[in-house]
Amino acid sequence: MTVVITGVGVVSAFGIGTAAFHGALAEGKSAIGPIRSFDASSFPVRVAGEVPVVKPDGAWLAPRIGGHPLAAELEAQGALRDRKIAFGLVAAVEAWARAGAGDGERCAQLVIGLGLEQAFLEDFAPIFDGHAIAWDREPEAALPRTRFRSPVDLTARAIRRVLALRGPAIVNASACAAGALAVAHAAQLIERGAASIVMCGAADSMVNPLGLGGMCRLGAPSPRNAPDACRPFDRARDGLVIGEGAAMFVVEAADRARARGARPVATILGWGSTQDAHRVTAPRPDGAAACTAMQRALARAKLPPEAIGYINAHGTGTPLNDPAECKAIHGAFGRHAERVAVSSIKGAVGHLMAASGAIELAACLLALDRLLPGTAHHRERDPECNVDVIGPAPRPGATEVVLSSSFGFGGQNAALVLGRPA
Amino acid sequence: MRVPVIAAAAISPWGTGWRGLGQVLAASAAMPGAPGVPAELPGVPTELPLASPKARKMMSRGACLAASCLGELLRGVAWRRAECGYFLGVGASGGSLEDVIALLAASIADGAFSLERFGDRGLAACNPLLAFQLMNNFTMCHGAILEGIGGPNAALFSRGAGTTAALIEAVHAIAGGDCEQAIAGGADCALHPVTRAELARDGFVARGLVPAEGAALVALGAAGPPGATVVPGAPGGGSSAAPPIAVIEGCAIASGDARPLADAIDEAVSRAREGETLGEVDLVVIAPWGPPVAAELRAWTGANAANAAVIDSSSLGDALAASPALAWVAALDLLAAGRARRALVLGAGTDGDVGAVVLSRGAA
Repeated sequence: MTVVITGVGVVSAFGIGTAAFHGALAEGKSAIGPIRSFDASSFPVRVAGEVPVVKPDGAWLAPRIGGHPLAAELEAQGALRDRKIAFGLVAAVEAWARAGAGDGERCAQLVIGLGLEQAFLEDFAPIFDGHAIAWDREPEAALPRTRFRSPVDLTARAIRRVLALRGPAIVNASACAAGALAVAHAAQLIERGAASIVMCGAADSMVNPLGLGGMCRLGAPSPRNAPDACRPFDRARDGLVIGEGAAMFVVEAADRARARGARPVATILGWGSTQDAHRVTAPRPDGAAACTAMQRALARAKLPPEAIGYINAHGTGTPLNDPAECKAIHGAFGRHAERVAVSSIKGAVGHLMAASGAIELAACLLALDRLLPGTAHHRERDPECNVDVIGPAPRPGATEVVLSSSFGFGGQNAALVLGRPA
Repeated sequence: MRVPVIAAAAISPWGTGWRGLGQVLAASAAMPGAPGVPAELPGVPTELPLASPKARKMMSRGACLAASCLGELLRGVAWRRAECGYFLGVGASGGSLEDVIALLAASIADGAFSLERFGDRGLAACNPLLAFQLMNNFTMCHGAILEGIGGPNAALFSRGAGTTAALIEAVHAIAGGDCEQAIAGGADCALHPVTRAELARDGFVARGLVPAEGAALVALGAAGPPGATVVPGAPGGGSSAAPPIAVIEGCAIASGDARPLADAIDEAVSRAREGETLGEVDLVVIAPWGPPVAAELRAWTGANAANAAVIDSSSLGDALAASPALAWVAALDLLAAGRARRALVLGAGTDGDVGAVVLSRGAA
C-alpha cells in the first residue's frame, strides 16, 4: 500500500503557514532573534527561534481555528500559556484545509508528538511559604484552572475537538524523536489497515522561562546571544538554539486520496527507529544506533542509499551531535555519504524539540518540489562532519527521495524516507 | 495475528512480581493501605545499582519503577537486546520537587514570582540537571540504557489507552518483522503532588479514583534467538524450553470521546478481533478509573460476556499509564495458573479512550 501526505500545516519562527515557512527557507533566511514573549534579560540565553506572536491567546487563536469556542475556553482556563497548544491547533487546521478534508475524513485518528508539560512557575507563588509548597492551600488558592503545568495531551484533545475527529488520539512523548515517530506511526496505521486517514505531526515550545532555563542549565544552547548562534556542522558550532512551533500532516492511502480528489505532496516510503542505550543527555559518539535507524528506513523503503538525494539532518549544532550524526550517515550510506546533500534547518528556525522531526519533514517537501534547504549560518565545515553540507543558501533543484533523521534526549533515534508522489 | 507472551513482570502495591497478582485480585483482596490513598510501594528497589548518580538524579519515580520492572523482566529472558523493541506507556514528567522548591525560594519576592530573580538566582539555585522537568520519555529510556535495549521503540503518553497503543505497536513490530522480540507495558506514578492535585481538580478523586503507582511489562515474541542463554525458572517466567505464558490474539484502542463508553468498548473489541465476534471468554479484567467507569465496564461485560468472571484491577489503585499493563499481567497470572482459558482486558483511563486486549492460553 502506498501512503501519502495530502495536507501540511506549519507554524514556525517564519510565521504562520506552510507558505511562510517554505518561502523563507527558499530565500535562505534565518528567523533566530531576541526572545519577545517573556523578559529573558536576566537569562544566560536570550535568543530563540520564536514564533512571531508575543501572546497566542484566545483572541489570537480563535480566528485561526474558524472561531471555534475552544479558543475562549482554553484562554479562560489559562491553558494557552503553553504556547504549543495554539501552534498545534493552527497547524492542524491548516493541514486539514490543505488536504481538502471534510466530513468524510472525521473518522481520522490522531498521532501527535508533544513535548513535556510546560511548568507555570508563577502558579506556585500563592501556595509557597518560603520553604515548602502548601498543597493543602491549593484547592482554595486563586489560580487558573490549568495550573502548575499543562497536561501533556491537552494539544491532542484540543485538535480532536476542533476538527471533530472520531478516531483515538495517540501522543508520542519521545522527546526530539517524537515528531518523526508520530508520522511513522501514522504511516504504519494506514499501511496495516488500522486507520484510513490520520492527522499526525508534532507541536512543541520550550520558549518559556523554565524550558529555556532548564536547557541553559544543561548547557545545550549556544552561549552566544546572536542570530547566528546555531551553526550546524560548522567548525565553530557551540550549541543549539531553542525553537518552537508545529507541523501537522494529513496522511492516508494513495487510493483513498485519489478517490476523493486530494493531491498528494509526498509519499512516505520508509521509517526506522532505534535506541542508543547510551546516555539520556548525550548521543552515542559512534552514531551506530542512529545509523541502524537510517538503514531500517532505507530497508523498509526498499531503496539503496544511492536513491537518496537529500538528507535533512537532525543537525543540532551541538559539539556532540553533529559528528556522531555524520558517522551515522557514513555507516548507512557508505560511499554515497560523501555525495548526498545534507543540511539542517535548525540554524534558521531553532530546535523545535518534540516538533523538530515534524517541521523538518515539512522542509523536506520543499526538497521534493523545487530546492534543497540550506544550513543557515554554516560557514566552515568541521572536518569531523565530513559530508556534503549545503551552505546557508539553498541549493537549486529538486530531488526524488529524501531522508530525514531525528534523535531525542534519552537516546531515541528515528529516520523517515519520503518520496515525490507519482 | 497471534503473538506469544513469554515473560512478564510487575511492580504493584503488592510488591515486585506478577505471579499471584491476578489471584489476589480475584480474591477481592483489599489493596495494602486501603482505604485511603496508598503509600509508596513497599520494597521497590529504587537504588538501581547500575545507574550512575547523575542518571539516578534524572530518573522520575516512574522511570525507577520502569527500570526496576525491566530488570526483573529480563532476568528471565536473554535476548539480543540491541535489537529488541520497547514500547512503553509513560506518564507525566514527575520530577523532583526539591529542585523546584529551591528554585522558588530564590525566585519569589513579596509573594510573587519574579522572572528577573529567576534568571539571576533561581536557575543557579536548582540542580544543574534541572530534575524538576524531566522528559516524559526518560521513563522508558533509563531502563533501556541500563539494560541495553536498542530496537524499535516509542514512548507514548498514557492516561490509559496510550499503554494499550504501546502494546499494539509492539505486537505489530514483531508481526511486521521490525524485530523478533519486543517489550511492552506501562509505568507511572500518580502520587506525585502535582499529578495528585490535577486528578483531584479534574474530579477524578471525588469520583473514586485512588492515585497509585506501579509498572508492568510483557515480553513478546520468540523465546530466544539461537544460542541465547535463558535462565530457567527466573522471575520473568520465560524459558526457551517453556511454552509461552499466553498468546495475544488481538489488541486495539477506540475513542471514547463524545459518545457512550459502551460504543467505544464495542469498537475496541471489534478491532481487536479484526471484525470477528469476541467469542467465549471466561475472564474479563477491567482497569477503570474510578467506580462510575467500573460500573460501565461491568455492565458491558454483563451484556457481552455474561459467563466470564470479572476482576477489577483498580483495587490496585490507579497508576495511570501502568494500570492497563497491570491488568494484562493479572490476566496472565490467572491464565498461567489455569484459572482461566481466554481473557479480555478492558482499560478505560482518564483520557476517556478505551483499550481492549484478548489473551488466551496456548501456542501462537
